[in-house]
Amino acid sequence: MNTKPLVTCEGLTVGYGRRPVLRDLNLHLPGRCFTALAGQNGSGKSTLLKTLVGILPPLGGAMRFHLEGDRRPGLGYVPQQESLDPRFLLSAFEIALMGACARVGPGRFIGRRERELAQACLEQAGAAALARQRFSELSGGQKQRVLIARALVTQPDLLVLDEPTSGLDAAASRHVMELLARLNHDHHLAILMVNHDLAALRGHVDEVIWLHDGQATQGSASDMLTRDRIETMLGLTF
Amino acid sequence: MDTIREVLDPGFLLRNSVYISLLVGLVCPLVGVFLVLRRLIFLGVALPQISSCGIACAFALHTWGIMPHMETDSEHTLAFLGSTVFTLVTILVLSALERRGRGLTEGRVGTVYVLAGAWSILLLVMNPYGEHGLLERMRGEIIAITDGDLRLTTLVLGVVAACLFAFRKELLLVSFDRDTAIALGKRVGWWDALLFLLVGLTVSMSVLTVGPLVTFGFLLLPPLMGHLLARTMWQFVVLSSLIGVVCAFAGFCVALRWELPVGPTDVALLGALYLVLFLLKKGALWVGGWKADGVAEPL
Repeated sequence: MNTKPLVTCEGLTVGYGRRPVLRDLNLHLPGRCFTALAGQNGSGKSTLLKTLVGILPPLGGAMRFHLEGDRRPGLGYVPQQESLDPRFLLSAFEIALMGACARVGPGRFIGRRERELAQACLEQAGAAALARQRFSELSGGQKQRVLIARALVTQPDLLVLDEPTSGLDAAASRHVMELLARLNHDHHLAILMVNHDLAALRGHVDEVIWLHDGQATQGSASDMLTRDRIETMLGLTF
Repeated sequence: MDTIREVLDPGFLLRNSVYISLLVGLVCPLVGVFLVLRRLIFLGVALPQISSCGIACAFALHTWGIMPHMETDSEHTLAFLGSTVFTLVTILVLSALERRGRGLTEGRVGTVYVLAGAWSILLLVMNPYGEHGLLERMRGEIIAITDGDLRLTTLVLGVVAACLFAFRKELLLVSFDRDTAIALGKRVGWWDALLFLLVGLTVSMSVLTVGPLVTFGFLLLPPLMGHLLARTMWQFVVLSSLIGVVCAFAGFCVALRWELPVGPTDVALLGALYLVLFLLKKGALWVGGWKADGVAEPL
């Protein structure tokens, strides 16, 4: 597996306003890897994710990108589905098509090629049958598939997901994780995922970044998901 | 029928008022769609009042010699400036406070609404010579519409509608999923500013010609009805505008027939239609639930 990093963080500090949540982080996101961000509630997982994606500005340090021409990786972002307002009368297809806004400029129509790509991404995510249904009326697992399809429409270098299995039952959670694993394995798509569901991570992810006491510890899944490590990071005793 | 024929006659004396009503009925709901989607309904209540206050303030400052004398058509320019400045500043300040998440949104908007209403009246009382038909506007009298008013309103509302259509995918994305819009490289601040500018221009222009009551009525009631009936975004937008236009025309005819003020008649008609549609929708849901339970329909 090609583990050349996509993104390197050097002395990165993240937080809100002037309040840092994580300080002086030194970590990297390997290309083509399935990486999980794990930690207790309030450890800064979503904060770090949002800083990497550009939603929050970094409070200090640097993020370096290692694509050709030092360009920023194309990011396919999958937010928490609870954050999306059901008042919008959007179909699953219309949601997926939003991913084309990354390429289609303001004032321009989204053409047939983009529409075909959106349909193909829905099929890839196992959500083609949902295309005409209203997004707000879908189940949690179905919504997650549609949002993953939207992220795929952006043709990303890195797929970034914030708690994709939150609120899902065990079966739906497993389906989502298997979809992500398939995207990583079959299409060599780098994935960074925030997930506090450790059971969902096992057998799927390659790397784990633990956030604990304002610091980050990174390693392979086999090293990071041991019982001792979990007890230490989560303050549990099994 | 005679009333409708009279209104549709090209020589109808108040034809400019009809055209203005139809324009406002067409475009205000398009803007109102975003207010409803972004849960900014209270802003739709307060902005027309702010706009009226801006007009009253501009006239007062001019009468007191604080604002310089302007060239021809100065009255209209003053009103437009006062209305637009007050509306845009209010939108920007309220939205900035909303972004910071401090305090109660409803409290801020409610305070702004009631203060604007109070100051509008005070300024008019203190400056009766500068009233310039504002009281008629506030009562919803849509009568003295000049060709110049009509041209300017058509231009401004036409630009608003064109921008909403041209940039609908960006405005929708930023409204629906702000974080993803940022991740896709969109400058959400700029798009928010554009939307608020379009809202501000629509409210300013509409208040100038039809008054705050009618503006507020057409900003909110047609989209609320459209949302009740629609299954898709396109249906939502088209139905909202269609309801606005039909009610604007019907309200004008009813007002003409029974010698009522146009504005309140339009809004009362919108309200009555909303009630009917709401009850029909509830009834349809009730019958649907009845059938799903396997019980026979009542005779």
